[in-house]
Amino acid sequence: MAIDKLQDLFDRKAKIQSGGGEKAIEKQHAKGKNTARERMNMLFDESSFVELDMFVKHRGVNFGLDKKEAHADGVVAGYGKINGRLVYAYSQDFTVLGGSLGEMHANKIVKVLDNAMKMGAPVIGINDSGGARIQEAVDALSGYGKIFYKNTLASGVIPQISVIMGPCAGGAVYSPALTDFIFMVDKTSKMFITGPQVIQAVTGEIVSAEELGGGLTHNAKSGVAHYLTNSEEECFSEIRRLIDFLPSNNLEVAPTVPTNDDINRKNIELNDIIPANPNKPYEIKDVIKILADDGDFFEYQEKFAKNIVTGFIRINGKSIGVVANQPKILAGCLDINASDKAAKFVRTCDVFNVPILTLEDVPGFLPGTTQEFGGIIRHGAKLLYAYSEATVPLITVILRKAYGGSYLAMCSKELGADLVLAWPTAEVAVMGAKGAANIIFRRDIGDSENPEETRKQKIAEYEDEFATPYKAAERGFVDDVIEPSTTRARLVDAFDMLSSKTVNHPNKKHGNIPL
Amino acid sequence: MKKFRISVNGNSYDVEVEELGNGASSAPVAAPVAAPAAPKAAPKKAAPKAAPKKAAKAAPAGGHGIEAPMPGTILSLKVAEGDTVSSGDVLLVLEAMKMENEIASDVDGVVKAININNGDSVDSGEVLVVIA
Repeated sequence: MAIDKLQDLFDRKAKIQSGGGEKAIEKQHAKGKNTARERMNMLFDESSFVELDMFVKHRGVNFGLDKKEAHADGVVAGYGKINGRLVYAYSQDFTVLGGSLGEMHANKIVKVLDNAMKMGAPVIGINDSGGARIQEAVDALSGYGKIFYKNTLASGVIPQISVIMGPCAGGAVYSPALTDFIFMVDKTSKMFITGPQVIQAVTGEIVSAEELGGGLTHNAKSGVAHYLTNSEEECFSEIRRLIDFLPSNNLEVAPTVPTNDDINRKNIELNDIIPANPNKPYEIKDVIKILADDGDFFEYQEKFAKNIVTGFIRINGKSIGVVANQPKILAGCLDINASDKAAKFVRTCDVFNVPILTLEDVPGFLPGTTQEFGGIIRHGAKLLYAYSEATVPLITVILRKAYGGSYLAMCSKELGADLVLAWPTAEVAVMGAKGAANIIFRRDIGDSENPEETRKQKIAEYEDEFATPYKAAERGFVDDVIEPSTTRARLVDAFDMLSSKTVNHPNKKHGNIPL
Repeated sequence: MKKFRISVNGNSYDVEVEELGNGASSAPVAAPVAAPAAPKAAPKKAAPKAAPKKAAKAAPAGGHGIEAPMPGTILSLKVAEGDTVSSGDVLLVLEAMKMENEIASDVDGVVKAININNGDSVDSGEVLVVIA
């Protein structure tokens, strides 16, 4: 080949890979952000990223856009390896026309999604964009629409991870919202439908961009995002960690990670972890870490609805999703946010064949008008629905309280748990002993010479009779009552036993989950 | 005039109830509530005339209010006014939903005002402690 043709190729590629040029790159770095290509190299195994579609150009002719060069049309697309496994990705390049999304930019993203679905590989979208490329008008809008549609088709087929590393405003937020996981970086990520200026013009409210749509807001308040990291480096290492807990698609299972952690490990400390006084809280995450291989717990939505704890662990090397009540926060009650968080997590696990372990210590649904007016009935129903619909192995361990409707909601036998184990401290009952005794024995207490004495006696009577796991075990709602120290060994064995589980639900287009 | 028998903690009380118009009944109830609910920090921002809830909410004008996450009873106070606390330190124990909930500070600072006493019943959203 003539040397000049080769040289021409090298020159073209080098030019495109320079993105928006030195100045724009400097600006990007000054904001504490990396460029689109730097991010790809951080995300993927060393030298594994392959860029495709770099020669793509926009077709806009209006408002002088035809004179503007937009290298790679503002988005870097391709594939690579994460810990040896194929993963697709695209990364918006803020240095090129502000990462704005036009027709061809969107087409590149759609192509990535198509390929990821065809190959059954996860897809990661890195968002850093000023929004729609206004000069391209309705073509830009159409681009967003196509991406939303593809995200929805890919949902439940391949894991979709969205990373917000800059602005992501207006319509752009809905692509991440349709995916399985959203990562944000503290201080540099922003997500909102309407920005601070519009809000101020319309409602007069003054709010900073960070407060309105920063990483902390969406991780702690709105529940839109699932992970918050302090830096881009940390963010990519967390994403790589997450990928290891997930299969590549809905027909596979997550990779097994060999462990030296003893599968028969006994943990005497678990026998004493539940305080003698049932009104005392304890840290549920301690229990989760003790049960997990090597104490490794990868928490999901750590800062949102802390009264329920969700996340991934491994047991005997196999990826397991954990849902656990947190007695330390809001007494471990289920409320609107906790229901939404847990329901989404259960569905995420189910769709990707990750078995679910439920650790239960729940006193009930949170009472109050805020909850009722907010639709706790509708939101709580999501959790019941998610568990009932799930076909992955489901194991529930009742540690302590399992009262009333919330007992049922936390993956009871009735909702499809394959195995329900209880600790001797478990109390499976319609309500707590105090409340129950006051209702059942109202007459006895009222008629008594010494009501206080009678009340105490009746409460004790009720506790002995019903505040135990044995009544539920008599009916088969609890399969076994176990010594807490043996929990890990029992789980290792039980998940192994359940690995061949198959369930056939009735055929339908799709269920109608309460929303 | 209607007669009721009400049982409170096992003690029976015979109560006569008379229905009044809208005007008179609320005054004697509101007064004692308003007094403790409007601490020193409040006066400038919200006039004491305002609903007592509002006054309590406005209290953290010069600081950060720690609110009750759910309705319950104050079991014990772990801090006093003037104490220095850091984020994560337990301020008080709120008994609710059959649980002794430790209510922790989510900021570093000094306890500026304590709006409640042991044994008080609180509603969710009520400002319990102000930290500045």
